[in-house]
Amino acid sequence: MMMSVRTRLLLWMMGGMVLLLIVFAAVVYEVLSRSLLEGFDEVLLASARTISAAVERDDSGIRFEMDERQAPEFYRTIKPDYFQLWFADGGILARSPGLTRSGMEQLSGPPDIPVFRPAKLPDGRAGRAVGLVFTPKADEEAKTAATPKQVSLVVERDTGSLEASIRFIRWLLAAATAGTLVLALLAGAVAVRQGLRPLDALAARIAAVRQDDLSARIPVERMPAEMIPVIGRLNDLLCRLDDAFRRERAFTADAAHELRTPLAGLRCTLEVALLQPRTGADYREAITECLGVVQHMQGAAESLLALARYESGQATLHPEVLDVRELIESGWRPLVDRARARGIAFDARLPMDLRCRADRDVTQMIVVALLSNAAEYTNDGGRIEISGRNSAESLELVIANTGCSLSEQDAPHVFDRFWRGDRSRTHTGIHCGLGLALVQRSATVLGGSVSARIADETFTVHLILPA
Amino acid sequence: MRVLVVEDYPPIRKAVVKGLREAGFAVDATGDGEEGLWYATSNDYDVVILDLMLPGLDGLTILKRLREDGRTAHVLILTAKDAVSDRVKGLDHGADDYLVKPFALEELLARVRALARRAYCVKNPCLELGDLRIETTAQRVWIGSEEVYLTAREYALLEYLAMRKGEVVSRTEIWEHVYEFSSEADSNVVDVYVGYLRRKIDRPHRPPLIRTLRGKGYSLGASE
Repeated sequence: MMMSVRTRLLLWMMGGMVLLLIVFAAVVYEVLSRSLLEGFDEVLLASARTISAAVERDDSGIRFEMDERQAPEFYRTIKPDYFQLWFADGGILARSPGLTRSGMEQLSGPPDIPVFRPAKLPDGRAGRAVGLVFTPKADEEAKTAATPKQVSLVVERDTGSLEASIRFIRWLLAAATAGTLVLALLAGAVAVRQGLRPLDALAARIAAVRQDDLSARIPVERMPAEMIPVIGRLNDLLCRLDDAFRRERAFTADAAHELRTPLAGLRCTLEVALLQPRTGADYREAITECLGVVQHMQGAAESLLALARYESGQATLHPEVLDVRELIESGWRPLVDRARARGIAFDARLPMDLRCRADRDVTQMIVVALLSNAAEYTNDGGRIEISGRNSAESLELVIANTGCSLSEQDAPHVFDRFWRGDRSRTHTGIHCGLGLALVQRSATVLGGSVSARIADETFTVHLILPA
Repeated sequence: MRVLVVEDYPPIRKAVVKGLREAGFAVDATGDGEEGLWYATSNDYDVVILDLMLPGLDGLTILKRLREDGRTAHVLILTAKDAVSDRVKGLDHGADDYLVKPFALEELLARVRALARRAYCVKNPCLELGDLRIETTAQRVWIGSEEVYLTAREYALLEYLAMRKGEVVSRTEIWEHVYEFSSEADSNVVDVYVGYLRRKIDRPHRPPLIRTLRGKGYSLGASE
């Protein structure tokens, strides 16, 4: 079941609160009622002591003499207290005037130690009794020290007012608990809402991030410390999303540009051909031109797709040990005739055992792209040099070609997508500037790297792949 | 009318040049930025068709230098960049028009014709001078109700003179606006073509349409 954080927090808080308040109220009730009972017992005992003080002993025996005013509570007619005194033999010494017919039960403990217990008063009221066994004090006139005889006393008093007090305390505590709970619920709701406000703020900020502008980051300022890691993760996620979208957009823009240009060429050429009646040779020329454009488009589309796959990490790699010498030889084979026709010298200085561990297709594509690039831009009668060496953990391949018209500062740009710096490229018209960008991407995918250097009209590419 | 095409993608360049030539324009073309700037600053072109992504020097830089140099040639930017910001940037750099690739050749030709007319403050595509009428869109010429058939070069010459009607136009100007760099002709060829043109458009018992001003050049429709 879905439950909001707010409800859950509030429920837990209220549960804890109820438990705590009940325990607290129970303790308070117990302490208060006990202390009230003790107070009651003390007053009851004081009454008993007054009675016991009225019992005297002289030579003739034990006497009870008391003035009504000394203890009026026993002599009033409405709801009086009761007492009864017994001789040690069980005979009744005296009793309060309210006890007319029935007597009271004796309650005895050790001498001079009061014993309390709840009792039912002779008139039916609920009450409390104290029993006291004592030795009556001797009269001043008593001369003989006769064996002192003990007297036992029971005093009973109505507990109506005590119970009313305890009841009041009970109600007071219950009301206080309930009130506290209601207030706590309100305060808790406010506190939870306040506490969760940053969450709402975060939600609003996340909602404000638009699909077309992922560069926005969620600010960490004025956010509680607990939220900062969450926001950090969210910002990381946004960052990655932004990167992915940016790549996507760049790819779309590049692809659009790269396809629009040849499309325009195709359309223009066809429209011009149709402008007026022409000879067969003219049409043949236009068709040849269009075919060249289509080949260019095909190459561009394939390169763009490969590049997109590597950039999005869709392509799976199957690393194996590769004979780099053989890769270079097979890559050069299709280029040999044209290079020879243009008088380009190809000088490969490669050790017999040149190896790397990488995906065959990707590595082959890198090698072919670098070789075609070199063959394309070498001046007629120029020279291409390839050298390579293996170290413990890497393969280093250096491909250099003469006839480079770029300046040294252009070197870092040759790997930019669609960067066309070389004017010779415009004369061939079949290159779209994707080759080296693809080489760099592919090298990165293989865990290697590629760099370019331009010096003395020589363009040199350094390729490093893991061995 | 003379047009410069600066476009680095050969199929487009070749087709546009061919299309423009067949439409009667004198066309120079290059695929290189720096060369394009040199062409544009060393000649008085009526219209310059400029690609933005060029080797050597990019299109916007060429445009900026051209304007800094005080050249008033009408520039049409031809590019695959279609974002509004790109168009605005191009126009703000001093371009007169903007066409996104791929485009229809017809539209390009129409825009170039419009820009060429604007170069001479002419808005009506139909030029009239007495009973001489030139339809620049169809490239047809009438004297009264009779159509006159001209070669492309003759037409270009007549159109240029008509665009500047009433003005004295020097041989060099004619040569610069009607002939291409690649043509081997020098400005003397202008006299020859003016002769051909006169034979086709002048009628007996009427004053000649094209007057020769010795040592200065020619004038079409100038008052006596």
